[in-house]
Amino acid sequence: MKKSLVIVLAIVAVLAIWMISAYNKLVRGEETVNNAWAQVETAYQRRADLIPNLVATVKGYAAHESETLENVVRARGYGNSTEPTEDNVAAIQQQESAISSALSRLLMVVEAYPDLKANENFKDLQAQLEGTENRIAVARNNYNDAAKAWNTQVRSFPANIIAGIFGFEKKGYFKADEAAATAPVVAF
Amino acid sequence: MKRLFPLLVLLLTPLAGLWAEIPDPPSPPRLVNDFAGVFTPAQRDSLETVLVAFDDSTSNQICVVTVTSLDGRDVSDYAVRLGNKWGIGSHRNNGLLVLFKTRTGEEDWIDVNIQVGKGLEGAIPDVYASRIIRNIMGPHLRDRRDDYWRATTAACEELMKLASGEISEPRDGVDEDEDDVANAIAAILTFLIFAFVIYRIVKSFKNFNNRYGGGSSGGSSSGGGGFFGGGWSSGSSSGGGWSSGGSSSGGGFGGFGGGSFGGGGASGRF
Repeated sequence: MKKSLVIVLAIVAVLAIWMISAYNKLVRGEETVNNAWAQVETAYQRRADLIPNLVATVKGYAAHESETLENVVRARGYGNSTEPTEDNVAAIQQQESAISSALSRLLMVVEAYPDLKANENFKDLQAQLEGTENRIAVARNNYNDAAKAWNTQVRSFPANIIAGIFGFEKKGYFKADEAAATAPVVAF
Repeated sequence: MKRLFPLLVLLLTPLAGLWAEIPDPPSPPRLVNDFAGVFTPAQRDSLETVLVAFDDSTSNQICVVTVTSLDGRDVSDYAVRLGNKWGIGSHRNNGLLVLFKTRTGEEDWIDVNIQVGKGLEGAIPDVYASRIIRNIMGPHLRDRRDDYWRATTAACEELMKLASGEISEPRDGVDEDEDDVANAIAAILTFLIFAFVIYRIVKSFKNFNNRYGGGSSGGSSSGGGGFFGGGWSSGSSSGGGWSSGGSSSGGGFGGFGGGSFGGGGASGRF
């Protein structure tokens, strides 16, 4: 009688310890993904902050390209920070690739304005934009790696039981898109 | 196994085209890696000497790499991957990478990229990197001048000036990371020694009690002393291992320190 009680208590204790450690491991794992996600958001925000300067500079030389300029301004607008759920990541990727294509159209238009292209201020902006695009690419790669590790962790047995109980969810991936593969080349 | 190796290479060659390969870090490590062969050996050595001296005095690592092909990658993507794979810079991420893709028959242009480690992004923002490419390297490369040597030395001079304003501390043999590892090992060793000593004492007391049922403790103390000697000597030998590891980096280039890159920097095409 007494012996069986001890055994039950021991099993409960072992289970509790396992649950606590599994839970803590999940918390740490999610923190890693969230950190990688924050880097992605920072990189996108950085690009959004550059756009007003870029538009203002281009306007000074190419005022009648107003439609292209408006497109860029309209596409701009990275919203508030969100959780990287699968839906959110897909939505943000779509929104950001709209910005990318608006920007690359703008840079294409600029080709017709040699004065603007020779402007040192514009060259600096272009350099900042290029650096930002590269940071976005690196941050996205890092995030995808982190999300992959997390999704594996959440879905493997027996951690998935704990994940189910406490509502840890899978994270979304960025899919490779054409716009990112053909980053604008800055020729001097 | 050795005979199988060429076969293995042959089998994997078609795959290499699909999965573009970033070169492995040089062994022994070097800061100037002229895969494309655009520098003379004397130029390479003098640049290496300057960059190693800069690494020794400020701990910032400037790595110069020339390649003939980017394997279809974007130049900055290639540079980030190479920098991260090699681990240019220390744990402070103070690495700089100057990458050239030389002019070839199929790709008749020069791609230049300067990657700035995260720890130096404050000292060398993207705009500065871009200006170095445009205004300092450009005059030596533009209009098919293709003077890689002048472009590289001029760029390195400017990069050294900017970087040393941010991080400038003499490199000492052992990195902080290594210190942490050494401390952890020392702590574990100490713990093990203590655990073992206590175990021995408890055990010897038990034996003592079993044999004599109380009395003098001469026998057990000599046993303990013998163990102690062995324990410390093994401890000190591990200490010797670390210190020799540290001093080995004194001579030439000590090797890359595991720094990482986040995409900061600039590129240009001439």
